[in-house]
Amino acid sequence: MAVQTQPQVTTSTPRTAAKPAAGQPWKERWGGLFFVAPFLLLFAVFMIWPIISGLWNSFFNTSLAGVKQEFLGLQNWREMFGDPAVWSSLKNTLVFTAMSTPPLVIIALVMALLANRKGLLGWLLRFSYFAPFVLPATVVTLIWVWIYQPGFGLVNGLLTAGGFAEIDWLNTENRAMLAVVITTVWWTVGFNFLLYLAALQGIPAQVYEAAAIDGANGRQQLFRITLPLLSRTTGLIVVLQLVASLKIFDQIYLMTNGGPNFATRPIIQYIYQNGFTNYRIGYASAISYMFFAVIVVVAVLQFRLFSGRKEAGQ
Amino acid sequence: MRTTWTFPKVATIVGAVLLAVLWLVPLLWALDTSLKPEPETTRSPITWLPAAPTMAAYSSVLDQGDLIRWFFNSTVVSVLVTGLTLVVSVLAAFGFSRTRFPGRRVLFGLIIAGILVPPQVLIVPLFQEMTGLGLVDTYWGIVLPQVVAPVMVFVLKKFFDGISRDYEDAARVDGATRWRIVWSVMVPMSRPILVAVGIFTFIGAWNNFLWPFIVTTDPSMMTIPVGLANVQGSYGLRYAQIMASAVLGGLPLLIVYALFQRHVVRGVGDAGIKG
Amino acid sequence: MLGALALTGCGSLGSRPRVREWNLFGGGDGARLLQIHQQYVAEHPDVDFEAHTLAWGPPFYTKLAMSAAGGRAPEVATLHLSRLKGFSPTTMLDPIPVDLLEEAGVRESDFLPATWNRCIVDGKLYAVPLDQHPFVLYYNTDVCKKAGLLGPDGKIKPVKGVTEFLDMLKAVKETTGKYAASVETTNPWRIWWTLYGQLEGKFFSDDGTRLVLDDAKALEALELMAKLATDGLTPKSSNYAALVAQFTNGDAGLSFNGEWEVTTYQTAKTPFSMAPFPVVYDVPSFAGDSHTFVLPHQANRNKDDTKATIEYIAWILKHSADWAAGGHIPAYQPVAKSQKYLDLKPQAEYRSVAPDVLYDPDGWFSGSGAQLENEAGAAFSGVFSGQATPKAALAQFKAATQKLLDTPSPV
Repeated sequence: MAVQTQPQVTTSTPRTAAKPAAGQPWKERWGGLFFVAPFLLLFAVFMIWPIISGLWNSFFNTSLAGVKQEFLGLQNWREMFGDPAVWSSLKNTLVFTAMSTPPLVIIALVMALLANRKGLLGWLLRFSYFAPFVLPATVVTLIWVWIYQPGFGLVNGLLTAGGFAEIDWLNTENRAMLAVVITTVWWTVGFNFLLYLAALQGIPAQVYEAAAIDGANGRQQLFRITLPLLSRTTGLIVVLQLVASLKIFDQIYLMTNGGPNFATRPIIQYIYQNGFTNYRIGYASAISYMFFAVIVVVAVLQFRLFSGRKEAGQ
Repeated sequence: MRTTWTFPKVATIVGAVLLAVLWLVPLLWALDTSLKPEPETTRSPITWLPAAPTMAAYSSVLDQGDLIRWFFNSTVVSVLVTGLTLVVSVLAAFGFSRTRFPGRRVLFGLIIAGILVPPQVLIVPLFQEMTGLGLVDTYWGIVLPQVVAPVMVFVLKKFFDGISRDYEDAARVDGATRWRIVWSVMVPMSRPILVAVGIFTFIGAWNNFLWPFIVTTDPSMMTIPVGLANVQGSYGLRYAQIMASAVLGGLPLLIVYALFQRHVVRGVGDAGIKG
Repeated sequence: MLGALALTGCGSLGSRPRVREWNLFGGGDGARLLQIHQQYVAEHPDVDFEAHTLAWGPPFYTKLAMSAAGGRAPEVATLHLSRLKGFSPTTMLDPIPVDLLEEAGVRESDFLPATWNRCIVDGKLYAVPLDQHPFVLYYNTDVCKKAGLLGPDGKIKPVKGVTEFLDMLKAVKETTGKYAASVETTNPWRIWWTLYGQLEGKFFSDDGTRLVLDDAKALEALELMAKLATDGLTPKSSNYAALVAQFTNGDAGLSFNGEWEVTTYQTAKTPFSMAPFPVVYDVPSFAGDSHTFVLPHQANRNKDDTKATIEYIAWILKHSADWAAGGHIPAYQPVAKSQKYLDLKPQAEYRSVAPDVLYDPDGWFSGSGAQLENEAGAAFSGVFSGQATPKAALAQFKAATQKLLDTPSPV
C-alpha cells in the first residue's frame, strides 16, 4: 500500500505535537469506538449471540424439523450425563489428543533441526515437510483412505510384498484411531515445524560462535544451547496443539465416519449427529456446552501452568 | 565455504532427505494412481508406475463441471474472508491500541475471552441463526462467521503496541486523521506480519471444512473441500478419478505455497512466537 | 461484483422454470440416471435443470433436512420410502399437488396400492414412488459354470436351506481361490435383515413402542454371518467400494447386494447374471426399499417451478424402463408391465421378488441409511471381522435400539 510515505513519517518530531486539537470532546471521547465497531458487531452477531441462543436451546426440545418447541428444563442436561455415547465420544477425543500431541511436537522439532539450512536442499526440505499442511482435509483423507485400502492400497501392498499379513486399518477397532493419528501427523505437523523453524532462525549466530570457541561440539550445542532456548516455543506449541487436537472432527468424519463400532467418533461428531442428522438441536446444544466447558478448563489450566513457568523462569 | 564431510553431517542429511521422501510419498502415490486406467488401480499385487499413463481420469473429473464451480466458490470465499478479516482486525487492533473510549478495557477483555471459544461448539446455534437470517447457502453465510478472529485482534494489537508513537505523531503534525494514520502508518509498518497472518487466514479459509460443510447444502454453493466430500460426480470403479480430483483439489494451494514459501517462513517469525 | 456473486446463490432469475434435483444414487444406478437426465435436458430446453448426487446415506439425508430447514431446498429430491414418516413430512416436505400430477398423466391407479398408500401421511400425498429395490444375488457366470452351479439353461440353480447355501458358497470359493461372495461387512444391515426376515422375526410391537426382537432368530442369522467370515466364504472386512471391486476383479464369484450395480458390472465387462437371494431359511423375504420423489419444503415455492417439477417426475416415471435397466424394479405399473421392461436381462431374473421386499422397521430413527441401520452396522460388522461374538453384537444392538426408542421423537 502506501509504503513510499514511510521515509517521510520516520522523521521524528517532538512528542508534544501529538496532543489532539481541543474542541471536539465527543469525537475524542467516543471516536475510538468506530474503529472497533465493525469487529464488535460481527463478534456480537456471530459469537456472542450463538453462545446465548445455544444455552437457551439446551433447555428446549428444539428440533431441526421445526416441530413445536417445548420447555424441558434440565431434561437435556440430565439425559446427557446419563448418555454413555457422550462419554465414549469425549473419551475418543481425549485419546486422539493424547496420541497425536507428542508426535506432532517431537517430529516437528526434529524436522526443524534438519531443515534449518540454506540453499536448495533447505528449500526442498521445508517444502516437503510443510506441503501437506496446505491441503484441504478432504484431499488428505481421500488420499489416505486410498493408501489404507485393503487389497490394493499402498500400505497393505507393501505389507503383503514384505510377507506380512494385511491390516484393514480403518475398519479394525484398535487400529483405526492409530491410522487417523498417522494421517493427522503427516497433514498438520508442518505448522508446528514452521513455528520451531522460525524460533531456530531467531537464535543469534553469535551464541553458537561463542560456544564453538569454548570447544562445544555439535551434540553439546544441541542439548546445551538449542533445546533450552526452544523451551518457550515448545510450551507455546504444546498449548496450541492440545487445543487444536481437542477440536478433532474433519479427518475422523471423512475417514472412518466415527467407526468402526463408534471406536473413533469424536465428541464434535456426536454433536453434529444429534443436531443435524437426528434433528435434536436442543440436545446437541447441551452437549456443546459441556464440551465448551472442557475446552475452557483445559485452556485455563494450561495458561496457568504456562504463565507460571514463565514467571519462574524470569 | 569448504565443508568437511563428517559422519554426523552425512547422517543428518540422509535422515532429512529420507524424512522428506516419506512425506512426499502419499502425494506421489495419489498422482501415480490418478494416471492409471481404472482397472489397474484395483489390481493386486499393486503396480507401481502405470504401464500406459492416461489423463482420462482428469478429463472425466473436469467434464463433470462441479469442480470448477467449487474452485470459484473457494476463491471467492477465501478472498473475502482474508480481506475482511484483515481490515476488521486491523481497525479493531488500532482502536484498542491507540484510542481511548469508555468501556475499552471491558470490551478488550471480552474479545480475549473469545479466543477461548472454539467455533466448533457453535455450529448448532450458528446454523439456526443462519436459517433465521436466510444466509444458508450464501457466500455471506460462509464468510461472515469466519471473519470473527479474536486472536487476530490480539496479535495485531500487541504488534501495534510495539510500534513507536513517533511515527503517527509526525503524521498528525502533517494533518493526518486517525483514519489516515491506520492506513498510511500502521499498515505499512506491519506489512510482514500482515502478509504472514494473511497467508494463514487464506489457507485456513480455503481449507476450512466444518463450517462450510454445515452452512452449504446446495452443491453449487460448496467450496472445494466440502464438494469433494459430499458430491459424487462419477460412478462405478473410480479410484483414479477420486485421486485425480484430490490432486486437482490440492494443487492450487501447493503452487501458491511453493511461490510464497519464503514469506511464510519469515512471516511466522515476525508474527507469532514472541506473543 | 459482490452483488452479482451473491445473486448467483439464490432464487430463480430467468423466465425459464427451474428444477434442481438431488439424489443419492452413488452406484451404477447413478450412472444410469445421468444418461436419463441427459435425455431429459435435451428434450426440455425450456427447463433450467440441474441434478446433483450427494454421498449416500446420512450425508445425503442430513443435507436434505438442513436445506429444508434453511428454506432453500431443491425443487425435488429422492427419498427412501422407509424414511418418509421419520423425515417429518408435514414440516420438511411440501405435499405433492395431485391435480398437477394427474395433468401430467400419472394417477393413483398406475401404482400398486401397497406402495401408494405408504406415500400418504395425514391424508396427503408426500411422495411419488419410482421403484423397488430388493437385496439380490449377483453371480459371475464363468466362475459358477466352472464350479458346476449352473443349470442347463445357463442360470444358477436355485438353492434352498442353509446346507445347500453353504455348499454353493464352498464350491465358488474353491473356484475363485479367494472368496465365495463379496458383501458389505462394514454395514451388514441388509444381509441380517434379509436372513432375520426369512426366519419371520418381528422387530417392533404393532404400536411401534416396544422392541420385540426374537433373540434366538436374530442370533441364528448372526451366527450364519459369522460362519461365512470365519470359513473365508466372505471377506472379514470390506466396505462398499471393496464389495464392488472384489466382484469385478474376480476375487469373489458371487455378490450379496442390492440390485443397483448392474450398470457398473456391465461397464466393467464382468460376465455376470443375477437371481433372487436364496431362501436360506423358512420364507422368501428380501431386505429392500423403494425410491420416491419428494418436494422438500421451500420457504417460497414458485408455481412455475413446481409445475415443471411435477412434469419432470412424470417424465422420469414414464421413462423408468431406462431406469430399470440399471437394476431397480419400476413402481410405475404401465412400465413394469411393458414388453420393453419384461425383455430386460438380467433384470427379468429377480423381479418376481417384488412382493417379498421387506422394508425397514417403522420409527423416526429407522429407514435406509438412518440411525438404526448405523447402530446395526456398528454392532454387526464385528461379527464379520471376528471382533465381536454374535451374542455381544446382538446385546449391543438391542441396547442401542432401546435407547433410540427411549429418546423423545424430534419429529
